[in-house]
Amino acid sequence: MVELANDPVAKTLGALVAENGARLDKPRFSPSSLLLLFPAAALLIGLFIYPVGYSVYLGFTNLQLIGPNSIHFRFTGLQNVYFLLSDHVFYRSIWLTLVFVVGSGAVGTTILGLVIALALQSALTSVRMVVTSLAIVAWTLPPAAIAIIWYAATTQGGIFPVLFGYPHADVLYDHAMLVVSLANTWSLAGLATIIFSAALRNVPQEMLEAAKLEDANAYQRLTRLVLPILKPTILTSALLMTLLSFGNFTLIYLMTQGGPGGDSNILPVYSYLQGFTFKKLGYAALLGDVIVLISGVLGIAYVWLAQARRRAPKSNSV
Amino acid sequence: MSTYAFQHLTPQLPSTEPIRVKRWSLTKVISNTTLLVIGAFFLLPMLWLFAASVDTSASWQLRVPDFTTRNYLLALQPDYTRALVNSLILSLIATVVATVAAFLAAYSFSRQHIPWKGPILLTILFLSGVPISILIVPIYKMFSYVGWLSIFPTAVILGVTALPFEIYLIKNAVDAIPLDLEEAAHIEKASTWKILSRIVIPLTMPGIASAAIFGFVNAWGSFLIPLVLISRAAEQPGPVRMYGFMNSVAINYGAVAAFSILYSLPVVILYLLMSRSFRAGFVLGGAVR
Repeated sequence: MVELANDPVAKTLGALVAENGARLDKPRFSPSSLLLLFPAAALLIGLFIYPVGYSVYLGFTNLQLIGPNSIHFRFTGLQNVYFLLSDHVFYRSIWLTLVFVVGSGAVGTTILGLVIALALQSALTSVRMVVTSLAIVAWTLPPAAIAIIWYAATTQGGIFPVLFGYPHADVLYDHAMLVVSLANTWSLAGLATIIFSAALRNVPQEMLEAAKLEDANAYQRLTRLVLPILKPTILTSALLMTLLSFGNFTLIYLMTQGGPGGDSNILPVYSYLQGFTFKKLGYAALLGDVIVLISGVLGIAYVWLAQARRRAPKSNSV
Repeated sequence: MSTYAFQHLTPQLPSTEPIRVKRWSLTKVISNTTLLVIGAFFLLPMLWLFAASVDTSASWQLRVPDFTTRNYLLALQPDYTRALVNSLILSLIATVVATVAAFLAAYSFSRQHIPWKGPILLTILFLSGVPISILIVPIYKMFSYVGWLSIFPTAVILGVTALPFEIYLIKNAVDAIPLDLEEAAHIEKASTWKILSRIVIPLTMPGIASAAIFGFVNAWGSFLIPLVLISRAAEQPGPVRMYGFMNSVAINYGAVAAFSILYSLPVVILYLLMSRSFRAGFVLGGAVR
């Protein structure tokens, strides 16, 4: 009884502890995780994180697409940054990027998706079927097809100029930014509609009925009840649409190539043009870094907005 | 007589007639009108694509077509179908690479103890939001250095760009299955491989499918990355071919329209077939929360 160590159970336990050196009820790192994580880790580190870091470095070099500086490029310090700060196209490009990404992406698409989702609630079945499928098909189309569709719709003699009574106006040429923004909203609104329809289904019916019993009209129910409940979804959608709009620059590149005269030259397009048309890869990389900075700032802003919403009721109640 | 008396005695039941709600409220009228206008906004640009694709002398104008199938025959010439086949190769490789890697990582993140799991997942979430255009220059530089400017490395890159979000989609699906099932299998001495293949994969299939579709569509639609990273014209995918179409001097509008329909069709069909699981995956996607 006294010699507990001789007990066979205690011995095995002791041996196990000596072997593993830790408590057995705590989760421990198992070697199989390494095997499971290896492919994703190798791909992400080698072909995503490293290139992003490499691009930060390239942004401070004089790398060129062709010529002697394509092989023997060197670190040039802040030279690219000085050039960037004196580049008028760059400043205009930042403004256009914000218009495209925040204006047409975050704000435009979210509002359009929200309006569609709200209207769908009291729509006839036939109307609902038609509009949802159209919006979803528009969302599923690949960017190149959307570019062609919108090119056709807004160029001279296209459907929109004809519809508004200016058949000879080349809307795409005159208002390039407006057209590509509309095309972007057009292509993403289906996703926003799906997100908001799902969120609207989660609005508690009892609350709506209670509001009806209190004689709240449709407008009051919307602004006092539905929209506050949807606020987190609205912010989520705004963030998602911002990121997706950044990815939608293919649309602009195919439709206008940033033109005419730089009217639709958002940063991703400008970066591509600098790199592969003007052959200045180093400068293009620096522009790419600015894009990541902007998307990071926007992302933090949305997270901050979402958290400000969560903090507010607490401070009020205290 | 007795029946009459009996009827008289039955208690008055509430009317079984449905309560009539006002059929056309103002909200309803406004909703439907708004939707019709928005529907027209979506439909009108698309109409041109269909009309032009079957029109003998198509232009950018929307008009009633002189019916022909010549445009589709043109768009199905070997030169163009090869671009579609390239798109398919690119997308399939990208999907397989990303989905397999994402599933393994997602399972590990969901079920195993990993040090610094929180920060790692946050980094992956951050990566899913990084604009892809930043990758073009450094990857071009890396790949041109090792001579990889061709279709297979490009496919892997396209997979990698979808990987962070796929990890999130699949991790959510794995999180949703109860742990008890795996524990029971574990007690029955099933191997890890058996647990994965018999329990986890079948139960997470909707999540895996939506992640795979996301990866496929992502690769199918990408234009600039293949344009830059594939040096041989014969290996270029559909959208690059289309760009060539649009910029050629004698542009054949009908063939462009027909080709873009053929090019869009697989993706649209894929979405519509899988719309239910895809919607669930997207809405539940923790990455968007």
